[in-house]
Amino acid sequence: MSAVIDVQGVEKMYRRKVHALRGVDLQVGAGEIFGLLGPNGAGKSTLVKVLMTVISATKCKGTMLGKKIGDKSALTQVGYLPEHHNFPKYLTSRQVLRHFGAMSGVDRKTRNTRADELLEVVDMTDSASHKLGTYSKGMRQRIGIAQALMNDPKLVVLDEPTDGVDPIGRKDIREILLRLKGEGRTVFLNSHLLSELEMVCDRVAIMVHGLMRQQGTIDELTQGRSGFRIKTGSAIDEQTIDASKAAVPGVECAGRPGENTIVFKTNDAQAVQPAIDALRARSVVIESLGAHRPSLEDLFIKAVNEHPDGARPGAQKAKKGKRGARS
Amino acid sequence: MILMQTIAIFVDAYRELNAKKLFWLTLGLNLLAVIIYASIGINERGFTVLFWTLEGLFNTSMMSKSTFYKFEFVTWGVPMWLSWGATVLALISTAGIIPDMVSGGTIEPILSKPIGRVRLFLTKYLSGLGFVGVQVLVFSVGCFLVLGIRGESWEFGLFLAVPIVLAFFSYLFAFCVFIGLVTRSTITALLLTIVFFLLIFVINISEALTISSRETAMVQIEDAQEQVKSQEKFANKRIEQYQEQGKAIPGVDGEPLPPNFDDSLEAVNPTLSFARENLAKAQRKHDSWDTWASWFSRVKFVLPKTGETIGLLERNLIDDDELDGFIQMMEDLSGENSNQQDPRVNERIEAVYDARTMTWILGTSFAFEAFLLGLSTLIFVRRDF
Ligand SMILES: Nc1ncnc2c1ncn2[C@@H]1O[C@H](COP(=O)(O)OP(=O)(O)OP(=O)(O)O)[C@@H](O)[C@H]1O
Ligand SMILES: [Mg+2]
Repeated sequence: MSAVIDVQGVEKMYRRKVHALRGVDLQVGAGEIFGLLGPNGAGKSTLVKVLMTVISATKCKGTMLGKKIGDKSALTQVGYLPEHHNFPKYLTSRQVLRHFGAMSGVDRKTRNTRADELLEVVDMTDSASHKLGTYSKGMRQRIGIAQALMNDPKLVVLDEPTDGVDPIGRKDIREILLRLKGEGRTVFLNSHLLSELEMVCDRVAIMVHGLMRQQGTIDELTQGRSGFRIKTGSAIDEQTIDASKAAVPGVECAGRPGENTIVFKTNDAQAVQPAIDALRARSVVIESLGAHRPSLEDLFIKAVNEHPDGARPGAQKAKKGKRGARS
Repeated sequence: MILMQTIAIFVDAYRELNAKKLFWLTLGLNLLAVIIYASIGINERGFTVLFWTLEGLFNTSMMSKSTFYKFEFVTWGVPMWLSWGATVLALISTAGIIPDMVSGGTIEPILSKPIGRVRLFLTKYLSGLGFVGVQVLVFSVGCFLVLGIRGESWEFGLFLAVPIVLAFFSYLFAFCVFIGLVTRSTITALLLTIVFFLLIFVINISEALTISSRETAMVQIEDAQEQVKSQEKFANKRIEQYQEQGKAIPGVDGEPLPPNFDDSLEAVNPTLSFARENLAKAQRKHDSWDTWASWFSRVKFVLPKTGETIGLLERNLIDDDELDGFIQMMEDLSGENSNQQDPRVNERIEAVYDARTMTWILGTSFAFEAFLLGLSTLIFVRRDF
């Protein structure tokens, strides 16, 4: 795997001693969709801004597209959608695309044809000649994404691309992301919408209070946490749990008295069967048996809860009214 | 790519100004100024305003048509319109360029483009100057045509107004950009720049006043020295007369004098003591004005020379002898009743100003501008957005 982004030990200390990044390592491979998760104020946007040279890191080793971080020439091949963007309101969306295309060094002819293509892609052709000031939030977001693609980038960095976009629009964006991947581009995105990341990301990282807590494919992260779940018709008691435990020696098994689920930590359905027999022998009604896989949300909440010290101050510092209060 | 980005930034600046309706509005006002310029004229009988003639002394016998238009350009067009009216308009139009660019959400996509911050910042700065350049150019072309058609003289020197006014504006704009970058507020940048402009203006006037007072005092010193000399001569003659006649020199009260030569002079000629007193007074006056003037000069040295920069145009456009008829007339008109300044004072003041070479004026002003611009660039490059 050749890394498109490969940085180690990124630190960022804002003025007034806000330690937003505290030594972040990150590897993003070519051609993958990489999702960065984290609670509000974790430092996700800060990391992206460091990569995009919008702010300078206090400490940073590593490369992006083979160039040192901070090297402007790497940016010719990078598309970026900032978090709280505010593109010139006096321009029409076609003008916005052409303007930023020119700023990225795209020649006039390519610029004009590509702007129209991208307007098609983000489904904005109809309002292409309206001024941005008249757009809704979701429409601006679409233009922002199109803007990030104007220079035919190898790497696309999107800071909360689905911010303010309706469910249909989100689906469209997911399709765009997959399409970008299909075209061989690398996509790096920040998002709070965990279910969305789950659907498109090849790899994710979870950042809490300026540090990477988890990094890997969703399978890797959920490994060892998946298993089977038996749902019973009525609440179970201590004895029932013990009986099912006894039936499957060697398989970790968890359940709580008074609830009606028992979870077995194995991926082998065969191994769970004796437990069903044991339960049936005790005349427990079985409603369902299914494979259980923790969602990204479970992982996320777990990661945050494992470092509660980290999550709180970050969340408090995010008060400035700037940050949304989603998930 | 550099060219492409520069064009993109300029086009964007134009569109932004256009969206605020400022571009064409300012251009329209500039053309209006040209029309006013054209509507005033001079003929054999007197002044003309549009089609009316105000008959009077002031006619082509006093001043040729072309001189009249040139004179109008350097006394009205440039100092009143370009360096006040149009400048304030231009500041209003361009003050927002930097604050708008560095506002949150706008700067990020720009910074993430392959363009260095220094170049980005300076190009933005130049786009503001470019706007003013276009405006001054339009005004100058208009005035050039008026001068050619109505004044019957095609004066290409008039286009000197473009670089000169641009230089003048660039000092103010550097200040405006600096404030705009630091405070991120258009209105603060605009107000402080106008205050700064007024401050320079006030300092200029104060300096001019102190210099004129100093030079007046200097002339008074010269006069007083003359006086003292002639009174001393007179006293010496008196003493010689006394000595020839073998008489003792009488003291003030007729008492005999101690053998003090100076006092004896004053004793034989009491006017001398007045003359000496006057000289000392003038000297003191000169010294105190000189302290003030040198303080103002020091302050002015670091500040941009707005007035002088505009003055360069007059120096270059009009020969003094072209205005002789006019100056003569003004002198005739003002007559004896006005307390005319001593021509020696005027000469001296002119000498002080003439000693300020173009190099000095532009050099120190550009140094100021370069300093502010450098500081702003440094802030821009180092800031986390
Ligand atoms: N310009 C700034 N100056 C000072 N502190 C800042 C600045 N920008 C961000 N921070 C702080 O840095 C920390 C990380 O902020 P960042 O915007 O990177 O969080 P985030 O993970 O993107 O949050 P969100 O999910 O809400 O977008 C926060 O504590 C924030 O207060
Ligand atoms: Mg963020």
